[in-house]
Amino acid sequence: MAFLEINNVSKKFGATEAVSDFNLQIEKGELVSFLGPSGCGKTTTLRMVAGFEMPTDGRIVMDGKDITDMPANQRDVGMVFQSYALFPNMTVAGNIGFGLKIMKKSAEETNQRTKEMLDLINMPEYAHRYPYQLSGGQQQRVALARALALRPDVLLLDEPLSALDAKIRVSLRAEIRDIQRKLGITAIYVTHDQEEALSLSDRVVVMNAGKMEQVGTPFQIYNFPETNFVASFVGTLNTAEAEVVDPARGLISMDGVQFVSADDLNGRKKGDKVRMSVRPERFNFADDQKKDNLLDCTIENITFLGSVVRIQVKIGKTVFNMDTFNNPFLELPKIGDNGQVTCSKEAVLVISH
Amino acid sequence: MNVADNLSKPPVKKMNWDWVGVAPFFIFAIVFLFLPSLSIFYRSFQANDGGFTFDNIIALFTVRDIINAYKTSLQISLITAVGGAVFGFLLAYAVVLGGLPRGIRTFMSTFSGVASNFAGVPLAFAFIATMGNAGLVTRWIEGIFNISTRELGFSIYNMWGLSIVYMYFQFPLMVLIMAPALDGLRREWREAAENLGGNTYHYWRYVAFPILMPSLLGTMILLFGNAFGAYATAYAFSGSFINLVTILIGAQIQGDVLYNPGLGNALALGMIFIMGLSMAGYVWMQRRAARWMR
Repeated sequence: MAFLEINNVSKKFGATEAVSDFNLQIEKGELVSFLGPSGCGKTTTLRMVAGFEMPTDGRIVMDGKDITDMPANQRDVGMVFQSYALFPNMTVAGNIGFGLKIMKKSAEETNQRTKEMLDLINMPEYAHRYPYQLSGGQQQRVALARALALRPDVLLLDEPLSALDAKIRVSLRAEIRDIQRKLGITAIYVTHDQEEALSLSDRVVVMNAGKMEQVGTPFQIYNFPETNFVASFVGTLNTAEAEVVDPARGLISMDGVQFVSADDLNGRKKGDKVRMSVRPERFNFADDQKKDNLLDCTIENITFLGSVVRIQVKIGKTVFNMDTFNNPFLELPKIGDNGQVTCSKEAVLVISH
Repeated sequence: MNVADNLSKPPVKKMNWDWVGVAPFFIFAIVFLFLPSLSIFYRSFQANDGGFTFDNIIALFTVRDIINAYKTSLQISLITAVGGAVFGFLLAYAVVLGGLPRGIRTFMSTFSGVASNFAGVPLAFAFIATMGNAGLVTRWIEGIFNISTRELGFSIYNMWGLSIVYMYFQFPLMVLIMAPALDGLRREWREAAENLGGNTYHYWRYVAFPILMPSLLGTMILLFGNAFGAYATAYAFSGSFINLVTILIGAQIQGDVLYNPGLGNALALGMIFIMGLSMAGYVWMQRRAARWMR
């Protein structure tokens, strides 16, 4: 039995169904991300676990106990909000110790735990500062310490880094992951940032329009998207309409250019329309003639993105993005050059829906 | 001219014209606040024959009528400041956080805007015409229940009656000021308090009220000053039945019987002193309540 079970949960606001038939089992100590665009229902689902929203249907079970109808202040969950939500009238220590004070813990215990939490977030000297005296990143670390001070069973993080600048985001997400691992706490992390979800999570739930599109490890989600939405939402993806040529051999044709795919085309027949996709980094210049797909192309554009160089190549009538690591000693082609690119048959994904 | 010539000359200081923008305010404050205050101070020590005297100041602490006038003024100001604050706060809460239809909020805002400025003779007349001895509501009650309110001892021409009249402009002012402050309470604070095991009491006791305290204190001192300095409403409502400092000042400065401008100025100086003390108390409390603010 999983530690946290979200069973067939739905949430309606009037006629609008914000979350539809959500099913997820989370193991103890696991960090699961809800990833999706704005309005996809990820925050609503998180708020149902926190007790701020009541499900219209379904049950939520934590550690074998049904908490669906339990008030938010009796659930053993800690929450970190997108906007920090620190109490502005309290110092850092006051914020961290708030829950302990409510629980009527002794002053000694409160001080001890507050100190532990300040050490955990590496801010021991900030105890007497007010929130306005802290940077956004520091405020969010305090919010994290406040949520953890009561030793909750589950930690909920609602887009905790989205209000921070890019550099702080990267360092703080590593810090959050470290702390989560150190404490072995079960956590749900809501984000619309795919990089954040992929880098942090044990598993990712990709959501769209209130529904779960796919659940899997970051590796599975990125490399083997099961739906067109997941494929297009997670990472950059080249997609194009194609036609099945030979299902048995995995042959498809795009604008007359043939591709071999390793995906299972059984159940499809010759002439069926399909949607094929290839990740930009799966293309290579034709230094390996043994690759499954050897394709003639014309260089359309070259964009320098720092560690990566994005090259637009025209294959048939379709322009594909191709990413290659930046190498100062590598001679890049010129716009208008003709050449060949390759990709393996595993790189050519045929997405069912 | 060479470079050396340029270096030997002191840099030309540019005239800063920024202060021109605030000049009207300072001129206004000097002409209508500081100079009148100085004049009041000076004239408080003037006898009727123009000579210097301490009699006016001494009278503030020795004449029973004057002491009573200060007491009544302070009582009414405190009652209406606290009453207006509590009633206005609850109303603002109902409108902003009570989940009422949006239209009610618009109506309340408009009403509060009008009512907070509805004072003086029209307000006094409105209460006299409705709840006075021959007022519409008074007569209506007498007719329905076949009683005489006067024989039962009911009258609005006393301290409590005037307090009710004052409340009419006091609580809408509270609504106008508190509504935006309540709007500023973020939903996440309540949720964070709840998430940390707190209930509604904990949220209001430890989070919401301390956050609102600077606004509450500021509004209460405003209401206090509003009531303490009111003259036209009280005079039109009760004539000289109710012994208020402002009415006493009017009698000393304009009156035919009690004409003593020096004493009138001393009474006004006493009011300035009390308001000054209230402001000092407010600043002290505000500093404590708002130390978490930028």
